[in-house]
Amino acid sequence: MVERFTSKPIELPPADRPFERADLIFYGLDHSGASFEGQVFLDPRGVGRDAGTAHRAYVGSFFIFGHGGCFGDIGHCDVPQERDPFDRRPPHQLEPAVRILTVTEAVQRLLEREAQAAKVTVIARTPAKEPADVLAFETVRLATYA
Amino acid sequence: MTARQLSDLRKAVTAAQAIGDDRGYQRWAGIHGLPLPISCTHHSELFLPWHRAYLYLFEKALQERVPGVTLPWWDWTSGHEESIPGPYARRRAEGRRNPLFDSPIQPSGRINPRQSRTTRAPGAPGILPSPATVEAILDNRDFLTFQTQLESIHDGVHVWVGGTMESIATAAYDPIFWAHHCMIDRLWYLWQLRHPGAGVPARLLDRALAPFPMTVRETIDVTGLGYDYAASTAAAKGPGHG
Repeated sequence: MVERFTSKPIELPPADRPFERADLIFYGLDHSGASFEGQVFLDPRGVGRDAGTAHRAYVGSFFIFGHGGCFGDIGHCDVPQERDPFDRRPPHQLEPAVRILTVTEAVQRLLEREAQAAKVTVIARTPAKEPADVLAFETVRLATYA
Repeated sequence: MTARQLSDLRKAVTAAQAIGDDRGYQRWAGIHGLPLPISCTHHSELFLPWHRAYLYLFEKALQERVPGVTLPWWDWTSGHEESIPGPYARRRAEGRRNPLFDSPIQPSGRINPRQSRTTRAPGAPGILPSPATVEAILDNRDFLTFQTQLESIHDGVHVWVGGTMESIATAAYDPIFWAHHCMIDRLWYLWQLRHPGAGVPARLLDRALAPFPMTVRETIDVTGLGYDYAASTAAAKGPGHG
């Protein structure tokens, strides 16, 4: 778990390929701990530690309503790595989450600045607005839709 | 919400709090989180259907206490200057303790054993979701994308209310939980009206919504569940058939 993460540069769509919508999609988000706001920034160079919602690279926030820890015995909150295809039980409560942030105007602005790639930075803040080590996810993807 | 509707809601919640068995408030609040098992469905494809079944059955439980009572929705896109809405913010109402202000938490429902009642720590009013944010989400034509984006702002309101509401394990003990989730359910209903050709993927329709005796399919049509989200409503008696 980390309080902030900056991705490697993600390729932007070609400037000559118009789109109506651009989404940043976060896969594999952990929600086992405290609730938090993930403030998201999109910038070719990344952003500094103190960036907030007034920063020009801020593109929006996603939120995670967290479980707040494990209340069972050892292993209670371990998500099974494999699932029997015939298992009719509901999925484990802590199967990772997906979040979709629409960032159409931000991507268009980057293309106007002739950027070809951008880094995604996520800073996790708890309800007390403090950075907190609650952020974990597998992948972030930029998808555009014509 | 009329004064009569609000008074009925207070009476129903008070009556449900006074029942210690499986008809009571504490049992319904505990289904969402603690005590284990935590049954709510978050960050999954069943988020909206599960919570619609939950609201429906909780409202039925309240109606057994006060016939005709209904759950209101909290429209957090308006009245930002008000912060927590008045009916839920006042410690006392109608000359007694306001049952919508806070709630006991049963010992098996507590994260902190010494925290016997719900608390809130609301954020700055201006950062609640705006009408423009909600409009953009309602424009999604795909159910799963709509649901994922709606759940994120839902999560944000839980974070904004803070205190008991900010943890899945305890959130439903706070009486404002139900008004928040009615708003989420209302937005799903508005999305259904806006996109009549879209809907929940067919592969999900026969999924059970444990522990409730309902499937996803049975949550799709709110009129079939006996409610809707009218901005106002009034009625007059007809001549009858006598």
